Formats: sequence, C-alpha cells, structure tokens
Amino acid sequence: MKFRSSGYLIKEGIKSIWTNRMMSLASIGVLISCLLITGAAVVTSMNASSLISSIGDTNMITVYLDPQISDVDALKLGAKFDLIDNVKSSEFYSKSKAIEDYQEMLGDDIYANMKGENNPLPHAYKVSLEDFSKYEETVKEIKKIDGVYQIGNRSDIARKLTKLNTLVTYIGIAAVIILGLVTLFIISNTVKMTMYSRRFEISIMKSVGATNSFVRIPFLVEGMVIGLISGVISSIVMIALYNPILESVRGIASVVYKASIPISDIWIYIILAFLGSAVLIGALGSFISVSKYLKKEGGEILGW
Amino acid sequence: MIHFKNVSKVYPTGTKALEDINLDINKGEFVFIVGPSGAGKSTFLKLIMREEAATEGEISVNGYNLIKIKKRKIPYLRRTMGIVFQDFRLIEKISVFDNVAFAMRVIGVSEKSVRKRVEYILGLVGLSEKADRKPSELSGGEQQRVSLARALVNNPELIIADEPTGNIDPELSYEIMELLVEINKRGTTVLIVTHEHNLVNEFGGRIIKINGGKIVGDYIREVEQ
Repeated sequence: MKFRSSGYLIKEGIKSIWTNRMMSLASIGVLISCLLITGAAVVTSMNASSLISSIGDTNMITVYLDPQISDVDALKLGAKFDLIDNVKSSEFYSKSKAIEDYQEMLGDDIYANMKGENNPLPHAYKVSLEDFSKYEETVKEIKKIDGVYQIGNRSDIARKLTKLNTLVTYIGIAAVIILGLVTLFIISNTVKMTMYSRRFEISIMKSVGATNSFVRIPFLVEGMVIGLISGVISSIVMIALYNPILESVRGIASVVYKASIPISDIWIYIILAFLGSAVLIGALGSFISVSKYLKKEGGEILGW
Repeated sequence: MIHFKNVSKVYPTGTKALEDINLDINKGEFVFIVGPSGAGKSTFLKLIMREEAATEGEISVNGYNLIKIKKRKIPYLRRTMGIVFQDFRLIEKISVFDNVAFAMRVIGVSEKSVRKRVEYILGLVGLSEKADRKPSELSGGEQQRVSLARALVNNPELIIADEPTGNIDPELSYEIMELLVEINKRGTTVLIVTHEHNLVNEFGGRIIKINGGKIVGDYIREVEQ
C-alpha cells in the first residue's frame, strides 16, 4: 500500500459509517448500552466500597482507663496511643464529659448525684484506627499500655465490615467480568452482521487487486470512530446522570449519599476508561472479523 | 502470457473440475473459452485469478508463477488483468465514477490521475453522462459497461470477460462484444468465457472448447467482418 492511499483509506472508513448508517447506529447503540451497564456496575461497586470504609471510619474504638488513674496521668496516655502503628488519632474523653453526655438519658435527679466526685465513669480515649481490619492486633497493643482498663468491644463489627467490603469487591469484579464477556459477545455479533452485509464489497476489493491492508484499514478506521463516538456519548450520559442518581438515593439513605465518591474525583477516569475501551473494542472487533474474510477467496467470501 | 502445463484441479469435495490441461495464450490474442455449464470454465478462471490453486501442474500468468506465488503477491497478479464479471460485481452504495475509480485507488494512483483516467474510460464505454449515478439506476447493459470500464481503467495486458452475454439482452451483448474487439485491436489480450456458440460463430478468433474438465478442441475460426 502506498502512503498516498492512507488519507483516502481513512476518509473511506469515516464515509462508510454514514453510508452504512443503520448498521453504524446499531453498533453505536449496542456499544453505548454495554459501556453504560458495565460502567454503572463499576461505579456502584466503588461507591459501595467507599460506603463500607466510611462506616469503618466513624466507628472508632473507646479505650476505658483504670478508674484509679489520676487526671494528669490519664492525659499523658494520649501520646502513648499515638505511637501505636495503626492508630490514626486519639482524643481524650473525660469522665465529666461522659456523664454530661449521659445527662439526658439519666434524668436531672440522678445526674445531679453523679457529678464531680460521685461520677462512677472512668476516663476514656476515643481512638480511631487507620485500618479497621487490623482491629485485633491494634487492640492487643493498646491493652499492653499501663492504665488501660478495658476496651469497648467492636471486633465483631470490624470483622463483619471487612468481610462485607471483600464481598462487595468480589461481586463488583464478577459483575464487571460477566458484563464484559456479554459485551464482547454482543459486539462481536454486531460486527459479524455488519461484515456479513459487506462481504460482497470485500470480495470485489480483492478481485480488483486490493491488498489485505487496503481492505482492512477503512474497516479499522470505521470501528475506531464508532468506538470513539460511543465512548464520548457514554461518558456524557454517565457523568450527567451520576449526580441526579445520587440525589435520588439521598432521599432514601443520606448515609449512602454522604459516603459517595464525588463526580469531580472520577469523571476523568470515566472518560478515559470509556474512550479507551470503546476504541479498542471497535478496532479489535473490525480487525478480527475482516481478517476472517480476508483469508478466503472470491466466491468463498460470499459463501457460494 | 497464460501458460498451463498438465494442470489438474480436484476440489476438496472430490469433484474433478479440470484434468490435464495444456495451453498457451499469447499476447494480443482474442480467445473464446467455450463449454457447457459444469465443463470447468469457472475453475479455469479461478485458477487464472488464483482464487483457487491447482492440484497438479504448472501455471504462469502475466509473468507470475501461480504455483510458487506468495499470498501477499496475489493482489499484484490481479492488477495485471481486468475482469468483467458475469454478475458485474459493482458496489451498490457508490457512484459509477467511484466504482471505476476504485480499481485505480486500490493501486495508489493520485486523485488527479484517477479523475482524468476515469473520465476518459467512461467516455470510451459511453457512460460519461451517468458517472454520478448509482449502479442500481443503470440498465443491465450499462452496468456491464461499468464493469468493463473498471476492468480497463488500469490498462491491463489481459482482459477477461466471464459470460459477457449471460445477463443482458442480445442487442446489448453485441455492443459489449464490439467493445472487446476494439480493445483487442489496441493490443490487449482478450479472453472470453462463454457457453454460447452463437457468439463464437459471429465473432471468431481462437476457440478453446472445454468439456468434462478437458480441452476437446483448440482452433482458430476466421470470420468475415
């Protein structure tokens, strides 16, 4: 193939999208649906993951101190907690603050009797962890510190959340793989149909002495442009619908809304992933199906 | 320019299409390949175009050894010949002009030369006026002339016409035959594959008769023009 031809071949590829517009439209439609369904599965799984980690974040552990410890010693302990590997931060939670927090529950009469010297509660620390899944190890470390009396037991929740997060990740990956396979299947069939209707053209091209690359390039360009168009439309739809869908979830569960990933963090990845995969699928789909016909000769192409 | 030596072709299904064919066709000849359907004419054509490979024997066409030819060289072999197909094989979606231009674009000719040459060739086959039409808007005879124009456009040394009178009415078939005779007078080798003996009787030339996959006659018939 001569270099002079390349401009012509690219133009032919783009032109034939219009010439075969019904088939192009079908391919674009299929590609957009597949991209959106797969994309939605990825984004949902990412948000579910984010939601679970956010629950983990808000569940810090409470470390109760020895009731005999002096106020000064209790305050000093904070620095020791901060030295532990998995501890993100620690906040002193005095017994007087604790009893105040209970005030409403206890009623004013009882509360009055429990103030000051009569406060039965111990001092405590609210310790938040970097990684909630390392709960057990961290608790062991904290218990080694002198003056620590008891730790509010959250190991059960920690285990469950970690499990749930893993589960959501697996479901997400499985959904993406299954949808990806379905996408490939649908797209390869769409391309096959397109090619079937154009096999006559391919046989003519070959009979007048077109080289394989000459036949292939316009189809390749066509596939890539169809991919590009589908990718752009899918990105726009996905980004445009993201916030309205989150808003509607907000009405049902505000926790979900609060924990969701803002679109500003992911829009660029959505565009890159959609464009990249759509162009790749388009190019690969055309390439593979044209090659199938290029191996054949004359009447064989037409199935005569 | 076409050389067959002891050529046989057996299809994978076991059908023996051609058996021990020996023939030489030289530059400038006007040749009819005649025989009833199923005689092996189509296989003969496919071997020349290298759409099929011979099972046995030697074939060379326009300087290409078709037994040893590499797959990627086949397009270049096909560019040395122009073929007018029985079913015309025009691309429906593009204009008459583009159908003819297509054969030139395939070999990377500049757009300027394409325009000049296609206009000239369309004039030669009398279709200048219909350059912008789609093939489906043309009559059968006109479509055949588009197919002929496409075969001629790269100025090949060999023109092959497959059943040129098969799909059009007799009057028009006379026209296309006249065109082929004219092309032959300019030095191009013309090979006509047909099952119609009338055609042969009327135009004459070298006649190669095929039947049952074998050559059963090879002679020259002179006709008073």
